[in-house]
Amino acid sequence: MGKGERVMSKGERAKSAREKIRAQQAAERAREQRKRVVTYMTVGVVAVAAVGLGAWYAASKSQAEQAGDTAPTTVQSDGSVVMAKSGVAKPVIDIYEDFQCPACKQMEEVSGSTFRNLAAEGLAKVVYHPITIFSTEPTKSNSVRAGAAARCMTDGKQWLAFHDLLYKNQPSETVEGFKADQLVTWAKAAGATAPGIDTCITSQKNAQAQLDYSAKVNKEQKLQGTPTVKLNGTAMDNNVVFTPKDLRDAVTKAAK
Amino acid sequence: MVASQPSRNVRTAVPWVTTVARLVLGGVLIAAGWLKIGNPSDSVVAVKAYQLLPDSLATTVGYGLPILEIVVGVLLVVGLMTRVAGVIGALLMFAFVFGIAWAWAHGLRIDCGCFGGGGQLGAGQQPAYLLDILRDFGLVVLGAWTVRFAPGHFALDSALGLAGGERVYRQDDHGPGVHGQEEMG
Repeated sequence: MGKGERVMSKGERAKSAREKIRAQQAAERAREQRKRVVTYMTVGVVAVAAVGLGAWYAASKSQAEQAGDTAPTTVQSDGSVVMAKSGVAKPVIDIYEDFQCPACKQMEEVSGSTFRNLAAEGLAKVVYHPITIFSTEPTKSNSVRAGAAARCMTDGKQWLAFHDLLYKNQPSETVEGFKADQLVTWAKAAGATAPGIDTCITSQKNAQAQLDYSAKVNKEQKLQGTPTVKLNGTAMDNNVVFTPKDLRDAVTKAAK
Repeated sequence: MVASQPSRNVRTAVPWVTTVARLVLGGVLIAAGWLKIGNPSDSVVAVKAYQLLPDSLATTVGYGLPILEIVVGVLLVVGLMTRVAGVIGALLMFAFVFGIAWAWAHGLRIDCGCFGGGGQLGAGQQPAYLLDILRDFGLVVLGAWTVRFAPGHFALDSALGLAGGERVYRQDDHGPGVHGQEEMG
């Protein structure tokens, strides 16, 4: 500061030039910073929106149909159950499922009402084949108990109600479940009127029939697992089976 | 100068390693999400099979996870918001490691559902938990690397001027001596 006037003004000029440059640089930095923030926010918002929309779309695609009427349902002597309007013989939808299998439960939740509606609308003949796919414990015994109990239900309507209750109360695959007294309770809740339903369930007199039928179906149909849904004898892609809209389209097309 | 040679090599290699890590982690995430997205209900079953989350949450995760994986995977591959995507990717993988370890510890016999499918295994199928865990843990490491050394080469972050770390690399490239001398010092 204690220098001559000329030097000072020179120094001041240089200083003000430096300040100007510095201010410009600061403005530049601020602009870049703003641009960065805006770009980041945009990308972030787009990414989050994409995730949200995708999840919403996936959920809505898997939306179950509203359950309507139920077509006449009859329990066959081999334990399979036919659900069809009278006179409807094709296309045939064969559903191979295991009461203990979580994917089957999921399928019933997502597409169960679609199967029923298709049958009620006369667009298909639906045949349920409850089998036991598990070979290890405790799942095997759970499945056999439930399957054997379902064979005690002689009325189609009651069988369907029992079927739904079994899935609703499906036990975890790591514990013993579908116990005899529970099965009796659910059978009663399903409106079972057949005499001797209690003993039929608790004695497990249909257990062997369940195992034999499972072995026979497994061999004949060459099942890869449960659930397997066949349309006129051809296995349907699970992506279709688990998407009510696609399922309805595929069956409607086969009905033409 | 002799001593700084390897460290300079390391510095040139780091962004490339990041690029590879990004591509691998991003690619795996996209593949995993893509294989699951066609069948959201199946994905819900797979999540529920872990018996780790309450049903309602498992449903949300089942529907949301595939698309989340794809979005994060794409961000990693193109190198956009690399750090954020890397953190989410690494956390996802870490969650998978935890989930699989959980299933293993609890004696559940499930397919990890990592690439679609999933749920309970049929008879005669053996779960490959250890392999799944090792693979996912490797991916966690890749994710951590990506976050630490973001964004690497061929990243949109650099093109858009979003990369905070990029400038540092450039300075280093021009004057490798500064850092190298400190290290030697």
